[in-house]
Formats: sequence, structure tokens, C-alpha cells
Amino acid sequence: MKSRNVLRGLMGATVLAASFGSAPAFSADITITMAAPDWPPTRFMKEHFDATYTSPAGHNTTLDMDFIPWPSFYERVAASLTSGEQKYQMIVTDSQWLGAFVEGGYYLNLTDRINADPELTAIMQDLHPALVSAYSTYPHRTRAQLEEAGVVPAPGVNYYGFPQFPDTYVTYYRQDIFCHEGEMAAFQEKYGTNLPCTYEDWQDTDWEKFAQIGEFLQRKKGDMLAGEVLDDDFYGIAYQAGKGYDFSSMQINAFIWQQGGDIWDESKAPDAQAEGVVNSDIAVKAFDQYLSMIQYMPPVARTGQMDIFVEQDLYMQGKVGAMIDWVGLGEPVLDPTASKVHDKSAFGPAPGSRQADGSIDRTGNIGGQPFVLTTWNSDEVVDEALNVVKWWLKSDTQLEAVKNGGQSGLKSVMAMPEYNDLRPWNRAHVEMIDWQKDVWHIPEFFEMLTQQQEEFDKAITGQIGAKEALDAIAEFQQELLEDGDYIK
Amino acid sequence: MARRNREIGKAGWGYTAITSVVGFIYFFPVFWIILTAFKTRTDALATPPKLFFTPTLDNFTSVFYRASITTGTSQATDMGLYFFNSIFIAGTSVGLALIVGTLAAYAFSRYPLRGNDTYLFIILTTRMMPPIVVIIPIFLMFRLSGLAGSYWGIILLYTAFNIPFSVWLVKSFFDELNPEIEDAARMDGATEGRVFFRFCIPQILAGLSATFVFGLILTWNEFLFALLLTGVETRTVPVAMARTLGGEVGVDYGLLAAIVTLFLIPIFFVTFLLQNQLLRGVTFGTVKK
Amino acid sequence: MADAAHHRGGFGAWLLDPKRRGALLVTPAIAILFVMNIFPLMWSFGLSFFNYKASSLKVPKFKGLDNYHDVLTDEKVWERFQTTAIIVSASVVLQLIIGFLLALMFAKAFPMRRIVLMLVLTPMMLSFVSVGVFFKLFYEPTFGIVSFVINLFTEERFVLLGSPEGAIAGIVIADAWMWSPFVMLLVLAGLVSVPKYLYEAAEIDRASAWRRFWTITFPYIKSLLLLAVLFRTIETFKLFDIVYIITEGGPGSTTETIAVYLYRTAFQFFKTSQSSALAYIVLFIVIVLTNLYLYAVNRRAEEID
Repeated sequence: MKSRNVLRGLMGATVLAASFGSAPAFSADITITMAAPDWPPTRFMKEHFDATYTSPAGHNTTLDMDFIPWPSFYERVAASLTSGEQKYQMIVTDSQWLGAFVEGGYYLNLTDRINADPELTAIMQDLHPALVSAYSTYPHRTRAQLEEAGVVPAPGVNYYGFPQFPDTYVTYYRQDIFCHEGEMAAFQEKYGTNLPCTYEDWQDTDWEKFAQIGEFLQRKKGDMLAGEVLDDDFYGIAYQAGKGYDFSSMQINAFIWQQGGDIWDESKAPDAQAEGVVNSDIAVKAFDQYLSMIQYMPPVARTGQMDIFVEQDLYMQGKVGAMIDWVGLGEPVLDPTASKVHDKSAFGPAPGSRQADGSIDRTGNIGGQPFVLTTWNSDEVVDEALNVVKWWLKSDTQLEAVKNGGQSGLKSVMAMPEYNDLRPWNRAHVEMIDWQKDVWHIPEFFEMLTQQQEEFDKAITGQIGAKEALDAIAEFQQELLEDGDYIK
Repeated sequence: MARRNREIGKAGWGYTAITSVVGFIYFFPVFWIILTAFKTRTDALATPPKLFFTPTLDNFTSVFYRASITTGTSQATDMGLYFFNSIFIAGTSVGLALIVGTLAAYAFSRYPLRGNDTYLFIILTTRMMPPIVVIIPIFLMFRLSGLAGSYWGIILLYTAFNIPFSVWLVKSFFDELNPEIEDAARMDGATEGRVFFRFCIPQILAGLSATFVFGLILTWNEFLFALLLTGVETRTVPVAMARTLGGEVGVDYGLLAAIVTLFLIPIFFVTFLLQNQLLRGVTFGTVKK
Repeated sequence: MADAAHHRGGFGAWLLDPKRRGALLVTPAIAILFVMNIFPLMWSFGLSFFNYKASSLKVPKFKGLDNYHDVLTDEKVWERFQTTAIIVSASVVLQLIIGFLLALMFAKAFPMRRIVLMLVLTPMMLSFVSVGVFFKLFYEPTFGIVSFVINLFTEERFVLLGSPEGAIAGIVIADAWMWSPFVMLLVLAGLVSVPKYLYEAAEIDRASAWRRFWTITFPYIKSLLLLAVLFRTIETFKLFDIVYIITEGGPGSTTETIAVYLYRTAFQFFKTSQSSALAYIVLFIVIVLTNLYLYAVNRRAEEID
């Protein structure tokens, strides 16, 4: 489709050029087919593109989005790429897939183009470094490594992606309960500290208090809660504890990082080890703390099935006092047709671990998706695709995206005075984005993730303990990584 | 009607009452799904589960229309097309498999080749392979041949999936027929074509209907290959259905239930219409190897 | 006839020769199967001897039987096979029992039978995905109707999927519910074809119900029952969506079937060659099982005759 259109456009232009005897700028019909998960942030991109995009090169450009249902998005993209179908010019991707598909030769290295194009360079400079690190670099470079270089783009680093939807997890909480005077007084009396009601209160909330909230708000059917009799059991807290995809690792990694532990650090390969790091005493202690809160969560947590959607549903149906979940799942919570707590919810930063100096470390695992370009396109198409990138990362477009339930990764947009008021979770999102790190990006990512999720799941369902789980993970990773020459 | 007396006894309305209760208990999960199609999300996830609620048709509207993100106006989804695709693709491929399979079954039954049983078994083994393994080769093949995204591609693939079942079932019907009648017809000067169409086919019509229904049931809901091999124009309902399974919220139970309910209607009626044939008594031959 | 055709000569006549009629009739089926099934199967069979990874640019190297060795010595694979065996046998047995009982119930003619029968037939017309999604919802401890009903009798919240046994039960129940009607339909087809006079004769002989069943009914449904077991075993061996949706293989890996593991190896880990090898081992096992089964059945048939 695409190449035929380009050809027709070229031919038309040639005829024009011949008849006028001079060579005007080539104007071509270009179709950019983009693989995109079917959900609001990408549907916004398509609708807004159709409404506002004009090609600076004078092309007649179509953005043809192939909307694929989220649950089968990965399969469809992986099958298309590995079969050599060459169907897509742009792809929305999870940051963790970068390694597999860069090594496979499918994602285009944009380093030289960024360096050669001041406009793109400026965009990279304006993007939050945590996002650049997670969404764009492969081999993976941490934020610290990028900032050490002092310049953007950093020399010797390969860049691939741009944020389509940058996501972080924040605390969703029931204002009607947490700001209920009776409950606040009772909590104060029982624990000698306040029940967090305001945003500022949540800024001072650590895991210890989060567990206290869990214990405090766990009520039985018939008990009183915030002045009303409960018609069903109620639970204090929830965070992700699901076996599927990365639905426990994202939260467990945060516990481990915050307490000074680490996962296998690919940016320090080949020196970084798995054995002794992944299962360090600190990591075991952190994982134990994560596990200790499962008892305060809805019973589905004990089945290892409490993924990001299940906890969202439990929260929306009014079964949970506070939950930690992605900003990207926020809109339905405010929707009166889907959510019983649409007018009772407020948002704060996710809790963290109290450090020796009294400050709270909130390091979290980044979510969301970048989008990338593919390798099989003509220069003309790549140039036009980069024009689309520039259009998407303009502040106007980004602001419009945020208004329509998206998020922006641009520091300049996040700093705008109106930004925090656009969506109720924006303040928390901006605070959290500064704390983000990412899990591995190497091609073996999925094998490591699957085995880790399996072991975590065993611990969550109470079949084994934290140490046993982390030992098994460390042993598996050490062997896999040594085989793959990542550890020497 | 004459066949009625072959059944093991007759029973009255009392028996109907008993079987209805058992039947309804068995049907209950489906009933619940259909009920969910008329529920809002909060009703679908109500505790305790709600049997009585104010029904809404919103889910059915959402099957065919959804709101634009930027303007809020209602846009048509392509669900109508997907319904057509599902019916067309499943109907054609199962029909094709039945025709091709019947010819082959007749041959296996009447003109056994050397190693007949081995061939039959090989045909069966193609159904045993976990489909995930052939995905990459088939995907590649489809791309090279230009079949990807076309109706013919997916129809041929589904036909291939249905052939083993068709051949095995239909052969067992042919095996049951009395060849002496056919021989007698041949003696009378009937051509092979006439023997096949006038004597054999009418006798196994019930069996062919059964095979068609079974094939349809096994094809109707196929997901994996439809996901990978259909294009935007040829997408089937099971693929489109996946959009209700997660995105901004988890499973959209009401919308999923609405699609499931609508998608149940065509196959339900085909089965209902062919049910008489199914119950007329189909004798199947012995499976031999 | 044959000679006359031969005299007229030509390719058409040669082709239509009765000697070749069988082969001719089989050709379309074999052709479609070859292109759409056998050829891709051979392709992946070839791949199973290399170290091809679909996600890698490296030129695949020939590895001989290494992949088969790796797969066969992998403890995980054997665990997955055990899990699969448990789920397949439990589910097929349950399908047979339920399907058989339902068939007995519907073998009698009664008013409105066609409509009541449709109630029972509907489950298998649903998609795996929707069965998986809704059974998961039924089992959910807070929202689920199964949990609700059980909680009417117990104090503690009912959590089915928290233990390996419960998770297996959850999967087996969903699958057996969906496919018992299939067994029922096949058995029913046999039951209604038993000539009534045989029962009348048995009545006169005062044969016991048990004896009547074995001597009259069973021979008529035997081959159908056989087909039902055969097809259900083959299909259940490939069980994927229901498992993947209800438990994702959890808790831990206790419900991960070989089909789920195969999916992970092929599509998530991109071990294309290794997954092909594993798939061929699965195919081999299914073929051996099928043959053993057909052998046992045929021997038994001979004994009875």
C-alpha cells in the first residue's frame, strides 16, 4: 500500500515538474501504518492527527493506525515483526521489548538523526531523563549514566523511542473515608499518627503507615465505616499482586529499590551479578514487607490474581480504601457509569520507604509505552515519520493529549501552571515521575520476567517464603545471564 | 416422524419439567452472561451478584457505536462488518471442508487405497499439532503468497482445520451404508455419479448436517489464527471481542457479554434448525486403525 | 467401460479411469491439507534441528538433535506434561460422565425436547475466551457468584484459585462444562438409533437393565463414544485460552499446561527452534496415545465379536 502510494505521488510530482520546467518540493502521498493498542491515548493520537496535522514537507500524509486489542497486542506485533511482514512504519511498544526487537533488526536506531536535527535534539533535552532512559536507550543506560554525560543526547548512547503514554503509579484513595473525622480520630488514637487525608499527608506516608491503614480499614460486613454500616466486607489497601505479565514485579521492584537493594543491573554488565544481589538480605527483607501486606487486601490477592485491573475494579466498586495503580487506569475511576467512587476519589504519590534521615524513597518501576520507528522504510518515509514525532511532542499537542486523558513526558509541559489542574492525578504523576527506574530491556527479558513472576506468585499464594523465591530467581538469572554472556 | 418410535420410550410433561430444571442449571452460566449484557458495570460487579436490576441497552449500543475521544460524538465501529466476516468465513470454510471431506471420505470408504488407514491417520494427526508451532511458517507463507488479510487465506486455513474431522465422521457414515444397494443400482445401469448423489448422499444427510454443525462450532470461535492472519477488512468477531478484555479498565463485562450474546444467535439458530437431523439417529461406523 | 475410455485416450480419460477414482476424490482434501497444514508442519520440523530464534538476526546454525535433547532433559517440560495429563484426564472423564448422563436424559422423546436440548448445547458455542473470562469472574472471591453461593454456608471467604488443587478444579470444571455437550451429542446420536424392537425383545426376556444396557445400547454407542474420547482428548491436549485466562498457569506453575508452556517458549522467549522440537514431542506423544487407545479398543472389539 505504502510503497505504491509513494510511487504514484512521485510520478505525479515528476509530471508536474516536467510541465513547469522547474522542480518544486516533492509532494508525495505517504501512509504511515502504526501498530497501536486500542485504548484512549492512542485513539486520541489518531483523531488529533486527522484534525490538526499538516506535513511540513508538503506531503499528503495519512496516519493509518492498526488498533489492536491490548490483550493480544504483543502477539500481533511479535508475529508481524518476526515473520518479516514489514507492515508497520511505527509501533507503540513496551519499553521492555526494546532489546528483543532492536536485536532482531526491527526498530530503527535514531541516534544519528537526533544528532543531526536540532529540533529533535531539543525535544530529547526537554523529555524527562527518566523517560529517555527507560523508553529510548538500548543498550540500556540509567538516568544517572545519562545525566553524568552532561549533554543530551549523550555520546555513545543509542536512542530509539519517544513517549506515547508515560505512566507511573500513584495512590488512589477514598477521600470520604480518609478525611472522615471519626475515622481520623480513631486512627490517631490507635497508631499515634494521622490518617492521610490531604495530598501533603500522602507525601509523608511510608509503607509502615500504609500497612497500618490496611489493618485499620479492614472491616467486616455489618461493621461501621465512615459513619455507615457496611453491606459487604471492606479492605484497607491494594496493590498489584498478579501472576500475569509484570503485574507483581512492577511493585516488588519498587520495594527492593527503595530499601537499597537491586535487581540485576543491565547497565553495569558484564560486572553486575544476579546471585547475591537479587537475593540479598535487603531484597529478602523488602519482599517480605511486600508480602506482609497481602493479608490486608481483598481475598483475590491470595490467589495471585490481583492484577492492575482487578484491584482497579475492587476500588471502583468501593471494596478498598486505597490502592496503588497506574495513572493510565485513572479515567474510568472518575466515570459515574463504571465507578461507585467517582466523586469520592483523590490522588496522592505512592508510599515509599522511610530512610535514615527521615525522608521517603519512592523509587518506582516505570510504566507506559514509547513508540518507535521501523527499519525497512525509505528515507522519505522516515523523515515524514519524524515529522509526526515532532508534531506529537509539540507542547500544543501534548497539552491537548493531557486534557484528553493522556500524559506528557516533556518537562516544559509538566511545568506549565495549568498542568496540575488538568487531571486530578497530575500532581502525583509529576512527583512520581522523578522516581522512576525501569526493569531489564535485554532480549531475554520475557524469560526472566516469566520465571520471576512464577516465583513471586508462589510466595504470594503462600507456597514458599520470600527467601526461597528470591534464591530461585537469582539462581535462574545467574545461569541465564552467564549463558548469554551478560555476566562474565 | 416414523423414526420417533426408535427412541427409548416416550415421556410426558412431567419429564419435561425435570429435564428443564437440569437443562436450566446447565445453562445457568450462559444465562448469567446474557443477563450481564443488560447490566451496567456496577451492576455486573455488584455484591451480592444481582439477579434483578434495571436493564440497559447501552452495551448493545456500544457494540456498534463508541464515543470519539476528542469530540465525544458517536462513531460507528466496524462490528457489523466483523459479524458478516465471521458468518461468511466460517460458513464457507466449513461448507468447503464438508464437500472436499465428503469426496475424500467416499473414496476412503469405497475405493480403499493401499495403506488406507495410514492416510486416514495422517489426516487426523494434522489436528493434533498444537497450532502455535505452525504460526510462524503459516504467517510467512501468507505474506509471501499475498493471502494475508484476504478472505481466501483464512477460509482455506479453516477448511484445512475442518477436513480431518469431516473426513473421519463422514467416512463412518458411508461405512454404515449397505453397499449391496449401490451395487444393485450399478447393475441397473446407474452411473457412479448417480449412485453417489442419488443413493449415498440422501442416506447420510443427517450425518452431514451433524458434521456441519460440529465444524461450525469448532470454527466459529477460533481466535489465534484470526488474530494473526486477518486484516482490518477481514477481521472476525472473536478478534474484535478481545478489545473488551482490557485497556483502560479490565474486562468490560457488559460489552463482552453483549458481543457474546449477539454472536451466539446465528450459530444457535443453525444448530436449532439442523437439530432434527441430528436427532433422527445417526449411526457412526467403527473407528479402525 | 475402462477399455473404451482408454481407446478414446487423452489425459482426461486417463484421469477418470476407475482405477484412479479413489485417488482423484481424495486429492482436493490432501491438496488443501498439504498446503495449509503439512507444509508448515514440515517447515517447523526442519526448524527444530537448528538454533533459530525468530527475534534474532543471527544465521541459524544446524544443531542436530540438541533441541530434542534439551527439551527432553528439561525438568520443567516434564512438570508441564504431568499437569497436562492431570487436566486432560480429569476433564475428559468428567465430560464423558456428564455427557453420557445428559444423553440418557435426552434419549427419551418428551414435549419441548428440542428447546430444552438447546439449553444444554449452548455452552460449546461460546468462545474459549468468554468462558475463561466469565468463569474467572464466577470464581472471584468478592464479585463471583460461585463464591457468593458458597459463602451462604461458610463464614470464611471462598477462595478457589489460591491452591494448586483448587486452580486445577477451576480449569477442569470450566472446560468440562463447555465440552460435555459435545460428548452428549455423539452419544445421543447413538442412543436414538437403537431400534426399539430390541428393547421390546429384551423386555420379553426379562433382561436386567444393566444387561440391556451392555447388550443392546452399548454396541450402538460404542463407536461414537470412542470418537468422542478421541476428539476430546486431542482437543483438550491443546487447551490454552481457558488456562491462560483463568490462572495464567498459577499458582506458581502448577496449572501451566504444555500448550501454555509452548506458547511462552515460541512467542515470549522466541526459542523458535526449541519450541518446534517440543511441539513435535507433543505430537509424538499424542500419536502414541491415540494408537494405544485405538489398539486397545479394536482388540476389545474383536474379543466381543
